[in-house]
Amino acid sequence: MSILKFSKTHEWAKIDNNTAVIGISDYAQHSLGDIVFIELPKIKDKIKAGSQFGTIESTKAASELFSPLSGEVLEINKDLINNPQWVNESPLEKGWMVKIKIENSNEANSLMDEAVYKDFVVKESH
Amino acid sequence: MEPKKTPLYQKHVENNAHIVDFSGWALPIEYTSILKETKAVRTTCGLFDASHMGEIIIKGVQALDFLQALTPNDISKTKPGQLQYNVFLNEKAGIIDDLMVYNLGGSFLCVVNASNINKVYTHLCRAKLEGKYVKPDNVEIVDESPEISLLSLQGPASSKIISEIFGKDINNIKYMHFVQLNFKNKNIILSRSGYTGEDGFELYCPNGVAVSLWDAILEKGKKYNLCLCGLGSRDVLRIEAGYPLYGHEINDCTNPLEASLNWVVKFKKDFIAKDKLESAQIKRLRMGFVMSDRAIARQGYSVYSNNKIIGEVTSGTFSPNLDKFIGMAYIDKELSKPGAEVTIKIRDKFYKAQTSDFNFIKSRTKKGA
Repeated sequence: MSILKFSKTHEWAKIDNNTAVIGISDYAQHSLGDIVFIELPKIKDKIKAGSQFGTIESTKAASELFSPLSGEVLEINKDLINNPQWVNESPLEKGWMVKIKIENSNEANSLMDEAVYKDFVVKESH
Repeated sequence: MEPKKTPLYQKHVENNAHIVDFSGWALPIEYTSILKETKAVRTTCGLFDASHMGEIIIKGVQALDFLQALTPNDISKTKPGQLQYNVFLNEKAGIIDDLMVYNLGGSFLCVVNASNINKVYTHLCRAKLEGKYVKPDNVEIVDESPEISLLSLQGPASSKIISEIFGKDINNIKYMHFVQLNFKNKNIILSRSGYTGEDGFELYCPNGVAVSLWDAILEKGKKYNLCLCGLGSRDVLRIEAGYPLYGHEINDCTNPLEASLNWVVKFKKDFIAKDKLESAQIKRLRMGFVMSDRAIARQGYSVYSNNKIIGEVTSGTFSPNLDKFIGMAYIDKELSKPGAEVTIKIRDKFYKAQTSDFNFIKSRTKKGA
C-alpha cells in the first residue's frame, strides 16, 4: 500500500516502502493553467527535499518544481516531455514526473496527508 | 490600488473566469484554458472583453493636421468609415504607443493601449498647447476611455453572428472599415478588425449597453460554438499573427523602422522626428522565430549565433494552432535573414531555433472582401 503525501509547494509523493513517485497536485496544475513544457532531472541525479528538481511551464509562466523528499532518481516519466498536457489531464496518475529512492524516510513526516492538504489549499486560495 | 473593473466584470465572475490584474484592470486571463480558447478563435470564434483599451477623440478644424504631425502613417489617405494602424512618435522617433485611428469624418477616434492612456493623453495635450503644429484653439482632445466598452468577436464564425444581430448588410463591411449602428438606442461602432489575424469584429459601445451587447453575441454565438476568451489567448493569437505588443516589441526607445513597421512610415508627408528616421542607422530588426526544440523563449532571453549574442527575445509562447513554440525577437540587422539557425539561452541551457518572418499563420482577415 502506498501513502500519498503533499508539500506546501503543491507537489505530491506516493511513498511505497523506500521509493516514491513525485508529481504536482490538481490544485497546482489548475492554477498554472495549460502545461506546455517540462524539464526533469536525469536518472541517478540526487535531488533534495525543498530544492528544485525541475521546471514546469504553462502558457502563463515558468515555475520551479520542488522535491518533497530527498533521494536518487530511479526513473523519469519520459513520455511526459512530449505530452506535458498529461499534467493537466491526470496530475496524480499519467502526470507523474520522477520516481526516487528515498534517502531519509523521516522527511515524509513533515509532509501533509491528503485531508490536511485539502484544508491547506482552501486556506491558501482565500 | 484596487484594479478597475469593466462593465462586464460580473459576467466574467459568473463564468468562472480566472481573473488577474492586467495593467490596473481586473480582467480574465482565461476562462478554462488558454490553448482551448486560442484554438477556438481559429476554428469557430471567440469573444473578448477589451474594455480596458483607451479611446481618445480628436476634434476640431485642425484635427487631421494635428494627428498627421504626430504620426508617420498618412491618415489623409483614409476615408470616413475607415480605420488605420499608426504609431505616436516622440521627438527621438521612439514609439509612444501604437494605435488604431478611426476616421469619423471630421473627427478621429484613436484607440490606444490601456497602459498608455495617460501617457498618450498628456503627450497630445502638451503637443496641442505648444502650438507648434496647429493653433491650440483648433483642436480638442477628449479622453472617452472611462465611458466606452470594447468587445471583440474574432474567428471564422464572427460574421454569421454579427449579421444575425445587425442584419445581412454587415457582410459588406470590408476589413479595416467600420459603421456606426444603433443598439438599444445607443450609438455603437462596429469595425471589421482585430488583433488575431482572423476575420472578426470590434464593437465600441457606451458602458451602459455593454452587458446587453455581450449577452446578444453570446446568445447568437451558441450554435457556432462561441468560446469566451481571456487575455492569455489574445496574446498567443497576436504572436501567431506576428503583431507587436507595446512593452514587448515596441516602446519609447524603439523606432518603427527597426520594429519592422516600415509600411507605417510615409516619408512623403511631414511628421514629428521624420529627420531622425531618415538618418537612422538601423542596427537591429524585429523578426520572428520558431523553436526547433520544445521550450518557451520568453522576453529578455538572449539569442546566440556562433557563441555570440545577436539578439533578444521580446515575446515567446506555445502556439497550439501550429503545435510549435514561436516568438519574436530583435536580431542584429546583418544577421536578420529568415531561416537562420540560432540558439536561445533559456535558464542556462541553449535551445535551437530558426529565425522567420511574421507569417506564422496564414492571415484570414477579409482584406479584399
